[in-house]
Amino acid sequence: MSAEIELVGTFAGEEECIHAVEALKRNGVAFRVFSPIPSEHLVHAIGHGTSPVRAFVLIGGIAGVLAGIAVTVGTSWEWNLIVGGKPVVSWPPFIIIMFELMILLGGLSAAASFFLFARLPQFDPIPGYSERFSADRFGIAVECDEADSAKIEAMMREAGAEEIAHEDPRPEPAEH
Amino acid sequence: MAAAVQPINTEPTYADVDRGVHRIMDPPGLMFWAWIGFCATLVGIAAALWTRQIYVGLGVTGLRQPNMWAVYITNFVFWVGIAHSGTLISAILYLFRTRWRTAVYRFAETMTLFAVLTAGLFPLVHLGRVWNAYWLLPYPNERSLQPNFRSPLVWDAFAVSTYLIISATFLVMGLIPDVANARDAAKGWRKTFYSILAVGWRGTGEQWRHFQMMYLLLAGLATPLVISVHSVVSWDFAMAQLPGWHSTIFAPYFVAGAILSGVALVITLIIPMRRLLNLEELITPWHLDNLAKVVLLTSLIVSYSYITETFMTWYSQDQYEVVTFQARYFGHYAPLFWLMVWGNCVFPLALFSPRIRRNTIWLLIITIFVNIGMWLERFVIIAGSLASNFNPSQWAIFRPSITEIMITVGSFAWFLMLFSLFARYLPIISMTELKEGIQWLRQSLRDNYYPGLPRE
Repeated sequence: MSAEIELVGTFAGEEECIHAVEALKRNGVAFRVFSPIPSEHLVHAIGHGTSPVRAFVLIGGIAGVLAGIAVTVGTSWEWNLIVGGKPVVSWPPFIIIMFELMILLGGLSAAASFFLFARLPQFDPIPGYSERFSADRFGIAVECDEADSAKIEAMMREAGAEEIAHEDPRPEPAEH
Repeated sequence: MAAAVQPINTEPTYADVDRGVHRIMDPPGLMFWAWIGFCATLVGIAAALWTRQIYVGLGVTGLRQPNMWAVYITNFVFWVGIAHSGTLISAILYLFRTRWRTAVYRFAETMTLFAVLTAGLFPLVHLGRVWNAYWLLPYPNERSLQPNFRSPLVWDAFAVSTYLIISATFLVMGLIPDVANARDAAKGWRKTFYSILAVGWRGTGEQWRHFQMMYLLLAGLATPLVISVHSVVSWDFAMAQLPGWHSTIFAPYFVAGAILSGVALVITLIIPMRRLLNLEELITPWHLDNLAKVVLLTSLIVSYSYITETFMTWYSQDQYEVVTFQARYFGHYAPLFWLMVWGNCVFPLALFSPRIRRNTIWLLIITIFVNIGMWLERFVIIAGSLASNFNPSQWAIFRPSITEIMITVGSFAWFLMLFSLFARYLPIISMTELKEGIQWLRQSLRDNYYPGLPRE
């Protein structure tokens, strides 16, 4: 069923926005939240679980350690320096290289997986977004049928919405 | 100061935070471009002298046996050290959820990036044949040569490159939501510029969910990295057997020194910027007070390290060590050593007084002395120890040439130029995080940190 209308509720504070999120979730309404701050409470209220970014960081970190082992141990085996009976593969200095590569690939994996999961870069307009939502207001956008709009609007107003706008769910692409 | 008395808004809103930060990003005036031109001139002079050095050779420097490491390596260690405050404030204090960090961490993080960029130049400047610098990296080549991974210089190449990449990533990732805010407020070419940098960030719940995890993990990775980087830098010296270098306490001693110098430079830069750009309502004496406490703590750790180092020399009765330390305390470099002790150990003790910690003039003077002291510490360790090695027939005093002096001056100009440009075109204060903890900012403005100033 295609959406006919886009309701955009504007909230002055984090708490009101969280109340609205909880009310919409209770009623099984799909929504999109916009926040100007990294609010853990809000993310928790939306409740999509833990971000998979962490799994990618783990994989990146392990890949870094393995790359460190490959480059150091591989080099030592290929060009072995046998001095005074010392081991060809001397782990203590190699651990430094493994550690640095673990951090490097782990960190780069964090950035790459963030872009992947947050679907960035994304230059097309997102329905319901307003410039105020990066400044001083929280927003909730709901795509719904005309028939459900009054009920959803009432939910958001009860939670403390400052204003509720009715928008076209498919806006024209921006120029920039 | 009487001239600067302005009413303080003790209840800033999100919009006030935005206004304050957007004001910094207003088109700069002639004075700003004059400053950039001044810095660029100094950078140009340094670049010309480096070009001459590459053409003529290292003979244009004061580097002679036994002093083959001196000002350039001092600058390298100094700038790597400066970089450490950024990661301390942005990553370590983030993990501890420190409340006062939000207003100042972007300053420190930006310093980190440009300080590592500056530091990374010095191993290159110090090379006689700079075009062979890439030999430090493992890469397939026709002569099947590979670096020796047992060498601290190779560890350094890995550690500093990783630090540069990760600190740049951390800074750029943290900037995205703030640049999106700037995009939404900007017009003209700036809107296009910020739109590209913001990569289409809209602050949806999903985006924040992944952002927070990514940021937390980057902070978690950057924390051990920052400790490892200066430890590795210290091992450039500690792994050698030279008296004055060969010490097991170098890693923690250098890390503490790095944080001391880095936080001191944050304060040195923040105080004039805060005044020039009217940021008193965003960066309050509460923030400066806490930064000063970090300076005090790390200064005490550094002082303890100096005492431990001296004690170990005395207790070991190793004649070479004893001679090196006697030369350090009473020899040719003694004035530099005692100025270092004053700047790093004695003067910062004044920060035990809350009145001094909240007095911007005193803070500025103390932190400038700390940075002079920290530069001298590295110089005394590097040049001082090399000057009196195992063989007295080789002993010689290092004297810097004009090339080294001007390249050092140029490095400061390069750092300040990049930092100033960043501060005027990108959000130097994190709006999103400052808003997130706005109640703490309000609290700090309500507290009695502004005695004598009228309130709104």
